[in-house]
Amino acid sequence: MKAAILTDTTKCNNCHECVVACKKQNQLPVDLPRRWDLDDGLSAKNWTSVVEGPQHAFARKQCRHCLEPACASACPVGALHQTKLGAVVYEGSKCMGCRYCMMACPYGIPRYEWQAAVPYVRKCIFCYDRIAAGRQPACTEACPTKATIFGDRDQLLAEAHDRIAKDPGKYVNKVWGEFDAGGTSVLYISNVDLSFLSAGHVVGPKPLPATTATAMEAVPFAFTGVMACMAGLSWIIERRMRIEKDTSGKDESHE
Amino acid sequence: MNRVRRLKLALWTLVGLAASVAAARFLFGLGASTNLTDANPWGVWVGFDVMGGVALAAGGFIVTATVYIFKLERFHAIVRPAVLTAFLGYLAVAIGLLFDLGLPWNIWHMIVYWNPRSPLFEVGWCVMLYLTVLALEFFPVPAEEFPRLAKIRATLVKARLPLVIVGIGLSSLHQSSLGSLFLIMPYRLHPLWYSPILPVMFLISAIGLGLSMVIFESHLTAYLYHRKPETDLLASFANACRWVLTIYVIVRIADLIIRRQAAQLFVADWRPGLFWFEVMVMALIPIALFSASRVRHSRAGQWTAATFAVCGIVLNRIDVGGVAHPRPDGAFYLPSWTEIAISVGVVSAAVLAFLFMIEHFKVWEERPADPNADPLKLPEFDPVGATWLGVPGIAARTTYSLAFILAAAVGFGFLKVEPAESRGIDATPVQRARGGEVLWIDGNLDGFGVAFKHVEHEKREGGKESCVKCHHMNLPRDEGSACARCHRDMYLPVDAFRHDWHASPSGARVACYQCHATGQVRTAESAVRCDKCHKNLVPTGASITVKHNQAVAYTEAMHRLCIGCHVKKAQEKSKPEMTRCDWCHKDRREVIDSRELVLRRAGLTGQNVVLPTPEARK
Repeated sequence: MKAAILTDTTKCNNCHECVVACKKQNQLPVDLPRRWDLDDGLSAKNWTSVVEGPQHAFARKQCRHCLEPACASACPVGALHQTKLGAVVYEGSKCMGCRYCMMACPYGIPRYEWQAAVPYVRKCIFCYDRIAAGRQPACTEACPTKATIFGDRDQLLAEAHDRIAKDPGKYVNKVWGEFDAGGTSVLYISNVDLSFLSAGHVVGPKPLPATTATAMEAVPFAFTGVMACMAGLSWIIERRMRIEKDTSGKDESHE
Repeated sequence: MNRVRRLKLALWTLVGLAASVAAARFLFGLGASTNLTDANPWGVWVGFDVMGGVALAAGGFIVTATVYIFKLERFHAIVRPAVLTAFLGYLAVAIGLLFDLGLPWNIWHMIVYWNPRSPLFEVGWCVMLYLTVLALEFFPVPAEEFPRLAKIRATLVKARLPLVIVGIGLSSLHQSSLGSLFLIMPYRLHPLWYSPILPVMFLISAIGLGLSMVIFESHLTAYLYHRKPETDLLASFANACRWVLTIYVIVRIADLIIRRQAAQLFVADWRPGLFWFEVMVMALIPIALFSASRVRHSRAGQWTAATFAVCGIVLNRIDVGGVAHPRPDGAFYLPSWTEIAISVGVVSAAVLAFLFMIEHFKVWEERPADPNADPLKLPEFDPVGATWLGVPGIAARTTYSLAFILAAAVGFGFLKVEPAESRGIDATPVQRARGGEVLWIDGNLDGFGVAFKHVEHEKREGGKESCVKCHHMNLPRDEGSACARCHRDMYLPVDAFRHDWHASPSGARVACYQCHATGQVRTAESAVRCDKCHKNLVPTGASITVKHNQAVAYTEAMHRLCIGCHVKKAQEKSKPEMTRCDWCHKDRREVIDSRELVLRRAGLTGQNVVLPTPEARK
């Protein structure tokens, strides 16, 4: 099973129960506005938020838990990794604070504890201990309108397509997260375009780890290749110089 | 004071300034000491200190390759300074990185926890290994001074060629991998900079920068120590640099055309401007200058062109590292003075270390004369402090220490940091209410003004301690709460009464005083009853009582009718789900789709609540 969340923005009425439930579940302290906050409501102390888009569409912003997470591929020490259920989780004890995950995330989800002298990266962790125990995440459990629901990814995808097929006039014919960035565990259906959730750009279907993979796969070959090249060049040039020296020496002796 | 002493004084001042900022950085965290945000997690410490620093230190592998691989022995004189620069450059990168990392004491995790898929992992390893290689390459120079180390030195000298080859391999890897770092950010990096061949472009520009950095550095040290620069030797470097930069420009423009992004160059925005400026400074101007043979062989010409190339390529690294990243809200990152102070301070410390090395070890063929070691000079007397400053060498050090401490003190003075875990109200300016007791404010944040009795509110809410009740600022850019935050009934979801509509010039056009008598606290309780205007609002026999002079909304009324029983029955029958919304609202869309709801409500007039018809409103 691949755990997934389906959020239907047409059902969300902006009640923020999910936000409150998330705070309670993860024991997050009171959030205060900071210079470094973006105005999407997410912060190191707020892992999910409800963002208002065009036409009063409310969409819950949270980590998408990509099937091929860019953050996990970027992290040099493997502090972020994907669990079997699909949750992308963070191990603070490994982190060294380079913030490459924040740069790599196509949705700009991970947040940093800028105010702390010992800062960590913070983001939604899909309540992985709850889903591992067979329960659903706190946010989906709290949702009173069932705008955001938890389930198996394939089933939720089918459900999403079903809903769109039943009411094609209402929904945009796209399930956000089905293919975006190689597919994500958090899916959205909506009556408006949801690119406001990803800073205005449309995330393409290409998995982001693949972009660096080509370069990284070439590393061992490039390394040995360059070294072999240099060693070879050095040997050839040295040999030529030696021969030149020898022959010129002989010529002198002949004369 | 001679040139070296003046420079050292300036450098020590900058290091002192950086020292004060460093204290703030480690005591109070990154938020207090940088302009970084969640939108721009990388700033000038990555762009300049790490990426620029690594590129600036590229001279090491260029020169060692020239001399030891291509056996161009005439360049031997510049090997030692180039390797020293590279070593100190990488050391500066490592130290600069310690400032940027959130948890710098965990930097060794890279050795233990592996993620070979990450380009940063590869860069980190290469920098670690290359730093070791550079240390081994340079070690024979200081070892000359210590006869005890002769054996180790001899071994290292023998191992020079393999070391050089490994060094070149590592260098070309991580110079390009710094570009690979950004391949994973196609949505973040601007299309003028983002390219799948970013690693290749980084490698080419690093070679160009390495060549121009050797030229720049030779001229700088020659100027400082009144030496004759190796202008003829450097002319061949300038020639090579010209070709490398030409290749770079061709690759960069061709890449733009192939990616079909060339149109971006002519968009009216500051980024294409930045692109042109960058390409101009880093490549076009140096190419033009180096192409003229007379410029290429002149001291001033070499120095000017090399300076352009160095600045331009470092600018390119800074742009890629953080400046050329479009932010969702349109704002862009500018480093704070503290960030710049650290960057400059780390470079200054590296330059000081470089000067120390060339003065104490045989980096050049002949060691420069100690500028302070004038045997004929008498100890200095400071007329201001009325003290003897000691022999010139000691006097110089006294001055440097003084500069360092003063700069650190000034730095502390300018630091504006908050404690690590403060209450944290820092972004929103708080202004005291001015101009008498009544303020004209946009009370409901709806664009309409309202006369607000600030003094009266303050008194009623509990004096000076009460500010936070309204000015609590717990929302981004929230300077004061809207009136409706306390006067909740103003925006209750009522059908019958809409405060906005009543007050609006396009609605009922009722002035405040017409409902709320002047001199009173303006609440729903004190307002006039609805039936003052709306005759027969509540027909006799209606079961809904109108509370607080306000008609209860249909949804409110219905909920109150149902929910009470539901709660009671849920307890009796021990069926807690009876209290849930979806017990009644089986079809969710009815509740959510407000248009349908309004239509339904409109059809319910006359049952329990009489909704005012448009005629009644008139």
